[in-house]
Amino acid sequence: MTDSPVTRIAHKDPKLPPPVDLPEGPEWVETLGTFDAQMAETLVLAVRTLYPHDGLPDRVYRRTVHAIDRLATRAPAMAQIFAEFVDGADGAMPLAFRDLSEGYRVAVLKGMEGSMAFLLVQRSAVRFLYDDVEVWEAFGYEGASVHLGGYVRRGFDDLDWLPPVPAGV
Amino acid sequence: MARYELDDDGVVVIIGSGSGGGTLAHELTRRGVEVVVLEAGKHLTADDFVNDEWGGYEMLSWLDKRTSSGTWRVAKDHALSPSWHCKVVGGTSVHWSACCYRLIEDEMRARSVYGDIPGTTLIDWPITLDELEPYYELAEAKMGVTGTNGLPPLPPNNNFKVMYWGAKNLGLEQVSTGRHAINSVPYDGRPATIQDGFTITGDKTGSRWSTLNVELPRALATGRLDLRPQCRAIRIEHDENGLASAVVYVDPHGVMQRQRARAVVLAGNCVESPRILLNSATGRYPNGLANGWGHVGRHYLRHLIQTVWSVFDKPVNMHRGEIMTGLIKDFARHDPSRGFAGGYYVELNSMGLPTTAALMEPGWWGRDFVSVIEQYANMAGIFMTGEDMPQADNRVTLTDELDEFGVPVANIHYDDHVNDTRMRSHGYKTLTAIHKAAGARRCIEAPAYPASHNLGSNRMSARPEDGVVDRHGRTHEVPNLFIADGSGFASGGACNPTLTIVALAIRQAEYMANRMAAGGL
Repeated sequence: MTDSPVTRIAHKDPKLPPPVDLPEGPEWVETLGTFDAQMAETLVLAVRTLYPHDGLPDRVYRRTVHAIDRLATRAPAMAQIFAEFVDGADGAMPLAFRDLSEGYRVAVLKGMEGSMAFLLVQRSAVRFLYDDVEVWEAFGYEGASVHLGGYVRRGFDDLDWLPPVPAGV
Repeated sequence: MARYELDDDGVVVIIGSGSGGGTLAHELTRRGVEVVVLEAGKHLTADDFVNDEWGGYEMLSWLDKRTSSGTWRVAKDHALSPSWHCKVVGGTSVHWSACCYRLIEDEMRARSVYGDIPGTTLIDWPITLDELEPYYELAEAKMGVTGTNGLPPLPPNNNFKVMYWGAKNLGLEQVSTGRHAINSVPYDGRPATIQDGFTITGDKTGSRWSTLNVELPRALATGRLDLRPQCRAIRIEHDENGLASAVVYVDPHGVMQRQRARAVVLAGNCVESPRILLNSATGRYPNGLANGWGHVGRHYLRHLIQTVWSVFDKPVNMHRGEIMTGLIKDFARHDPSRGFAGGYYVELNSMGLPTTAALMEPGWWGRDFVSVIEQYANMAGIFMTGEDMPQADNRVTLTDELDEFGVPVANIHYDDHVNDTRMRSHGYKTLTAIHKAAGARRCIEAPAYPASHNLGSNRMSARPEDGVVDRHGRTHEVPNLFIADGSGFASGGACNPTLTIVALAIRQAEYMANRMAAGGL
């Protein structure tokens, strides 16, 4: 059972590998190279707390953490910093980060802002979440175009809520 | 392609193959000069490029470590990558967005026109606009710049419609789609744009000028260019007379080589060019080559570049089409009544979702951020590039840390001048006002991203004590050593610098070839 995204308007360059297919259930963590289940689920919730798009399914955040895991697997020094982040997030309150309400999770993350661990998690989250083709589809970014003939006949000048620009400008 | 021996001392060695180095290589070889180009990056083709923001960034960018310091925001947001340029055959011309504007007379006489501004090191250019204009014309013809040589301008896209009506509602007068080295119609054997929107990740269709698809193939066709990709220049050597005699580089197999030379040209962009000069210190030149007056690496400029991203009620789809197709010239002139020296141009900016999210406000997260980025389809981008003030201590230096080639990692230090801050504030107000006048619901003042208009760090000066190179880009100290990139600018001006880099390279090639013919080089 897989949940590869079906996109209508958004296109990744065909030269790039397709989005990873993760299992739908909790066994998705078995695809990871470095993070254990507890770290992975904590990071999924951290990324969702940083970028809380209520309309996006969990699989998008899981793919983001999957990409972060690949980064950590390639660079063990980074893996150590991600582990520090999870330790810090879990140790900030009397409950583990994943058991906190959104308000408390936000407070924990605000308390960590400025740390190297927070910076790495936040920058990595932006890097991979908004590079996900299902997120592109959700927010109207159409992506790669040369293989479709560009946008010259696909709406590069179709804005119609302002008057046309006079000829010769 | 030509192959020259390592001990052939009849060749001109050019370090870097971008807008300066690649153009110079073509202009020299077509005049009969034998040239070796050392390029640190790979020789990619249009087929290698991807329509993907991060994929293109990682494929083309110079990602070797640098450090940064100073009050500029870049040192906080992009501490280890403060400068954005390319490592690939064709250099940053493979990445650029093709805006082609000329310096204006005020800018080339900056010290005389702006006056004595405390804390700055302004000088006038040692050449006049009149002297440069014929070379601008040659550059525009070579590059196929729209709005010149009978070439029509690029058509208005969605993002431009927003800029245009905002500007018109404010009463601004000089609004156009601008001038670009992107074909609006087929030109010079290259096709018209298909408005793909990915010019900065490498141009897959060839509608935009670059040295990769125009200058270097023509230089190779002369049979006088030996193009060596993945060859990383380390230092320049000199002979007993103090003349540049060879370039030491690491070849694609990691082996150190030494190419002899009759003349050497640095065209490695504003960080690598001073870095190589500083790394070439000897007993005779203890502060580095061409650095007798201590100016190498100093007066570093990066333009006052910033974007306002705005959310509208209805779709814009700014990602569709050529990305910087818009220009407003109303703020370009020096006008002291505004409270700052120098001017700026308003241009367009568009980015895809990945880099809009990353660069709109690095570090911003939470429900407010997502409420903006979820409106991506309704967002428009508007941009400015303005003149920043040269300061002696804004500079490229060598640190104690060595890279994999044993060369010290460069640090870029930049403190904002009070004039810079005043212009930035004025610019943000202008950009926001334009978008508000077109109906924007919310405007976000985005900070500068890693510097792409890198200038001034080996500057041109009339007097040797004021700079590094003379009016032909030849170093004051070493008569067969030249600079052919933006580091040779005497001051920054406001506009996108590539057209000026190309015009100066054409002029420099003419000078060098004439000197060689006369036995003087």
